[in-house]
Amino acid sequence: MTARLRAPGLTRAGLFLVLGTLFCAAIIVAVREAYGYPVFADGGIVPKAQNAILLLSLLIAPLWFLVGLGAFDYWFYWAAGKRTRPEDHSGHGATSWKDYFRVNTDHKVIGIQYVVTSFFFMLIGGLLAMLVRAELAAPGSQFVDANAFNGLFSVHASLMIFLFIIPVFAGLANYVLPLMIGAPDMAFPRLNALSFWMLPIAGVMMTASFFAPGGSFSTGWTAYAPLSTSAPIGQMFFTIGVQFAGASSIATALNFLVTIITMRAPGMSFWRMPLLVWANFSTSLLVVIATPFIAASQFFVLFDYALGFNFFRPERDGDILMYQHVFWFYSHPAVYIMMLPGFGIISEVLAVKARKPIFGYRMMAFSLLAIVLLGFTVWAHHMFVSGMQDWIRIPMMVTTAIIAVPTGIKIFSWLATLWKGVLHMDTPMLWALGFITMFTLGGISGVVLAMVPMDIYVSDTYFIVAHIHYVLYGGSLFTIYAGVYYWFPKMTGRMFDERLGKIHFWMTFVSFNATFGPMHLVGVKGMPRRVADYAEEFAAWNLFISLSSFVLGLSTLVFIYNMVASWRGGRRASANPWRALTLEWQVTSPPPVFNFDRIPTVVGGPYEYGVPGHVHGIMEPAEEARPKQAAGASSAEEGV
Amino acid sequence: MAAAAHLGSHEHEDHHHHGPPEANRSSRVDPATLGMMLFIISEIMVFGAFFTAYFFIRVVGGAEWPAEGDHLPKLIAGFNTAILVSSSFTLHYAQEAIRKDNRRGLQLGMLVTFLLGATFLFIQINEYVHVGFSPQDHAQGTIFYGLTGLHGAHVTIGLVLLLFVVIRSFRGHYSSQSHLGMEVPGIYWHFVDVMWIVVYLTVYII
Repeated sequence: MTARLRAPGLTRAGLFLVLGTLFCAAIIVAVREAYGYPVFADGGIVPKAQNAILLLSLLIAPLWFLVGLGAFDYWFYWAAGKRTRPEDHSGHGATSWKDYFRVNTDHKVIGIQYVVTSFFFMLIGGLLAMLVRAELAAPGSQFVDANAFNGLFSVHASLMIFLFIIPVFAGLANYVLPLMIGAPDMAFPRLNALSFWMLPIAGVMMTASFFAPGGSFSTGWTAYAPLSTSAPIGQMFFTIGVQFAGASSIATALNFLVTIITMRAPGMSFWRMPLLVWANFSTSLLVVIATPFIAASQFFVLFDYALGFNFFRPERDGDILMYQHVFWFYSHPAVYIMMLPGFGIISEVLAVKARKPIFGYRMMAFSLLAIVLLGFTVWAHHMFVSGMQDWIRIPMMVTTAIIAVPTGIKIFSWLATLWKGVLHMDTPMLWALGFITMFTLGGISGVVLAMVPMDIYVSDTYFIVAHIHYVLYGGSLFTIYAGVYYWFPKMTGRMFDERLGKIHFWMTFVSFNATFGPMHLVGVKGMPRRVADYAEEFAAWNLFISLSSFVLGLSTLVFIYNMVASWRGGRRASANPWRALTLEWQVTSPPPVFNFDRIPTVVGGPYEYGVPGHVHGIMEPAEEARPKQAAGASSAEEGV
Repeated sequence: MAAAAHLGSHEHEDHHHHGPPEANRSSRVDPATLGMMLFIISEIMVFGAFFTAYFFIRVVGGAEWPAEGDHLPKLIAGFNTAILVSSSFTLHYAQEAIRKDNRRGLQLGMLVTFLLGATFLFIQINEYVHVGFSPQDHAQGTIFYGLTGLHGAHVTIGLVLLLFVVIRSFRGHYSSQSHLGMEVPGIYWHFVDVMWIVVYLTVYII
């Protein structure tokens, strides 16, 4: 037992978590004693001190947990100038499920850790959504009170955004991106492991807020001040949880950027990169530039809440609207952070499944970069009714309408890719086509919402709920399903059950539209969002929506069953079941520990499907691939 | 985070490391340097958010600056600025020294840089004690402590990184061939310096 407590791992992490909490308690007790504030009363700790201990533990104890887990071991040795322990390859690969529960620097293991963790929190978030819909099935109060209801949808949204959509894309890219560019791993493998392990911390923190005194945070995922600065302590579980999720996402983005810039295989110029790599390049730029703003906005809330600062106290010259500006300066780019990697996945799937070169490859890449730039100019369209200066509205309306142009370029390029293609209508392709239709609908309601008069009319109604679910569920989540099905054979070495995959798609597609489509109608009629009760006239539609949403929830279980069962006992997958050109499909499924035995050479574009004799990558180093007269020698080596 | 950003890449320096096979280098930029640059971009955005708060409270809200009855110690802070800026020069001296394999120069330069940084932090804390208002008093105080405190936190991170370099330089690491491990924290320290000049100009002078 003592050996296990000393060796890095979950046991030591648990011990350190306890020690960290005690450490925080000691600090608070010491500080309060030193300043003469009351600490102990009636044989216990006074509530104020309890809250302070809880708050400090939320901030500090996770760092102790990470130290105990061993995420910093190497760096401690490095910093002290000691000999760093030689890497014995034990940190790479996973031989049993236990290897997924320790710090592992292999990008393929981390990718799977990311995807599984984020789907775990997606199930929790989905369960909360089911509870929300159960409460809304009929007017009046069913089984939760108004405050608990606010908590349900707040935690639902926060988990889905910060613990599912954003990290699951990072996870998929973690797995396939180094493979796609011909790299053996990410640029900073230890940083990669650290960024993964900050994620469950954020997720557990947000979920655990239900157990906080005063209930969970209930301000929506936007946590507007001064509502958030005057809420019970549960709010801090969001404020601090977001810091961990944000730090994780910045570190991963930085890692992606450095990997893409410095570790591409010979011949892999920027204009030969698969569009998934382009998409993650753009997304990472957004994350590195925008995410610090949400970190800062939550620091403001934390300081106002815990230390009595005056960022948002108008009676002391603070500025409440400033919160919304800082928050949306991150959170509008964040919707592109949640969408651009999905665009990349769709480009991969469509080209392979339509057996055609992607239409307008360079325009696809340029439109991604255009969205990155324009994404920073539209944030105040979330604030048309906030009481900000009127003159900001029109410029923001115009830029918001303009950002539909690069998105439109992508939609039309995908349609042109499909034109006269040989369509293989299997599960990944169905999800990709479902994405194009649903995301276009969500995009159109987005342009509608950009128009100031329309936005004022439907602000804070179910029209907004319908819009965000059409772009985040019908948009992002459909691309995630497409990506998970598409790379499942590569990641697990097994084929998924095609029949269950199709059942999953059709069940989801129909019940998704039945759930969120009618929300447009009740929204335009004026049903307010984020309220536990509603007028009698909306009762019929809401019952219908709730019943459809339960089917939608069940359809997710079909997916989970398919994934688990196929991973355990699915048919063995060949190296390249989709006959794709990109490099990740040219190695075995799952790939060898260090991805490529020898660094591959890229000689052509990634999407030249149907072009006779086209080659994207050669599985041997450049110096051996190049000379024509030595062809005999290199083909002899290939046989080995 | 800062430590994480640059330390992760140093396996290339250690010859006893047998991690993944060497990847193809598709850029002339060194990965650790690039990582640090990107991290600094994201740090600049954190400061950007705090400056947004400053802008909204002082410019949009039109609050009096500094708040009525408060005085900002421009002169002491200016003196402190000089201390911090000079530490950039001593750091540069240390970097030039190790390029010529002058270990004494490296150790001296790093130690002086570290001490100058620590002095800056000490004077800053001293200023907090004597400035006469608190962040709880008014939004101006919040912004003052917010911006200088955020910068102070970055000085602390920078000092921790410098401390690692000092320890390693006294333990015989770095040479004219291999000194990336002190160049990269150096970039961060220069960033902390430049950021202070911006903070000093906006908070104290304007």
